[in-house]
Amino acid sequence: AGGASLRPCSTRVTLEGINKPVIDRIIRVDHAGEYGANRIYAGQMAVLGRSSVGPVIQQMWNQEKDHLKKFNELMVAYRVRPTVLLPFWNVAGFVLGAGSALLGKKGAMACTVAVEESISDHYNSQIRTLMEEDPEKYKELLQIIKQFRDDEREHHDIGLEHDAEAAPAYSVLKTAIQLGCKAAIFLSERI
Amino acid sequence: IRCQLFPPQRPLQASAVLRRASDEQKKEPLTSSSQQQFDSHPTNHQPEQEPQGPRPSYTGQGGQESEDYESEEQLQHRILTAALEFVPEHGWTAEAIAEGAKTLGLSVAAAGMFHSDGSELILHFVSQCNTNLSELLEQEQKLVQLGEAEKKPTDQFLRDAVEARLRMLIPYIEKWPQALSILLLPHNIPSSLNLLTSMIDDIWHYAGDQSTDFNWYTRRAVLTGIYNTTELVMMQDSSPDFEETWRFLENRVADAMNMGSTANQVQSTGEAVVQGLMGAAVTVSNAERAVRTE
Repeated sequence: AGGASLRPCSTRVTLEGINKPVIDRIIRVDHAGEYGANRIYAGQMAVLGRSSVGPVIQQMWNQEKDHLKKFNELMVAYRVRPTVLLPFWNVAGFVLGAGSALLGKKGAMACTVAVEESISDHYNSQIRTLMEEDPEKYKELLQIIKQFRDDEREHHDIGLEHDAEAAPAYSVLKTAIQLGCKAAIFLSERI
Repeated sequence: IRCQLFPPQRPLQASAVLRRASDEQKKEPLTSSSQQQFDSHPTNHQPEQEPQGPRPSYTGQGGQESEDYESEEQLQHRILTAALEFVPEHGWTAEAIAEGAKTLGLSVAAAGMFHSDGSELILHFVSQCNTNLSELLEQEQKLVQLGEAEKKPTDQFLRDAVEARLRMLIPYIEKWPQALSILLLPHNIPSSLNLLTSMIDDIWHYAGDQSTDFNWYTRRAVLTGIYNTTELVMMQDSSPDFEETWRFLENRVADAMNMGSTANQVQSTGEAVVQGLMGAAVTVSNAERAVRTE
């Protein structure tokens, strides 16, 4: 005996025809990323808020706040589960931001460059995935991710303009931060 | 945690053996479009919607299938649905499945398609209940959107949803403890957990939960706890129409709401205390400065 194993599941009002697992991951990790970026800028502002780069960081932070708001909406619309690591990214992001800011203005900019480069690469690979799946079906999502990728690219360039490369141990710092970002992305996609 | 897609459909050659030759009738053709619908919407319980009478036919020896074959999944669904009628008498067992197969005009050997512990029957039942609950909540939501019904406050919504879902167990309540223990068997845990979490997620979704932070997890954990404990209370309840159970449910939901507001109160009290201390510190340092400059 022992026939085909039935794997029943509940009905849910799913959005018709989308590749749920792929979209789930994308939105979950992007939401986590924007949440982390918010906390990083919050940490940097806590240290450098009253310095000359304060306004620059504040402006970038405001854009990240908009990004997060957008992903909050998408998360509800697509009924995606947020990553369980959010409380952890809350603290880790703030510590990274504040820590890099304590290395000075250039340190904060170096952190920005590293993180924004990671994020734009990551958005690019998501854009590729969605284009391979079905550019028409995911048109709205693609538009949003492309726009955000451009914003992050801009932040990256602003960081470079503000002497990120002159930061102490720039290449070591950048590599370490990007490694951390890769790990964060890997984990947030899955848990 | 997402629902698993059903395994791909396969033609039903083996089932030809299970049919009694005298009962073969021509059935309304299952068009290929409805097959595709089944593929991309695994929750389309098409078999349940058909009338019981006509069944698919086969061009047996020719080797070619007629266009209107049903997949193994669909047949299994039909058998399990028919078997539910016999659960109060036989329990969640192969006997009930065999009886169900008989009412469909199949041989009792059809029960051999399933595990002997009745797992699939129970999982099928739970899945069906969850589907019914979702449809119910969807309809309620439509009524609210059309302005024909009032939007319920969260605690009442949760209470009503859990009650509606638990009431679906009433016809099978005698045999439900048996079902619960089978659902806890290691090989069933992934499926039963999946079904439970997606049901709870559905309830919160229709309750209007829009949390995108850790609250998402807290709320679902709390509701899962409420559901499970209420279900257990229901097993022991002998009051008329399970009044004791619904009262228990009401109290648990009220507790959960209080927990939420208590957490907020603790937080605002904490903030107020911190501000008070900061104010005190400023006052002391000002006083100190005043003393020093004298």
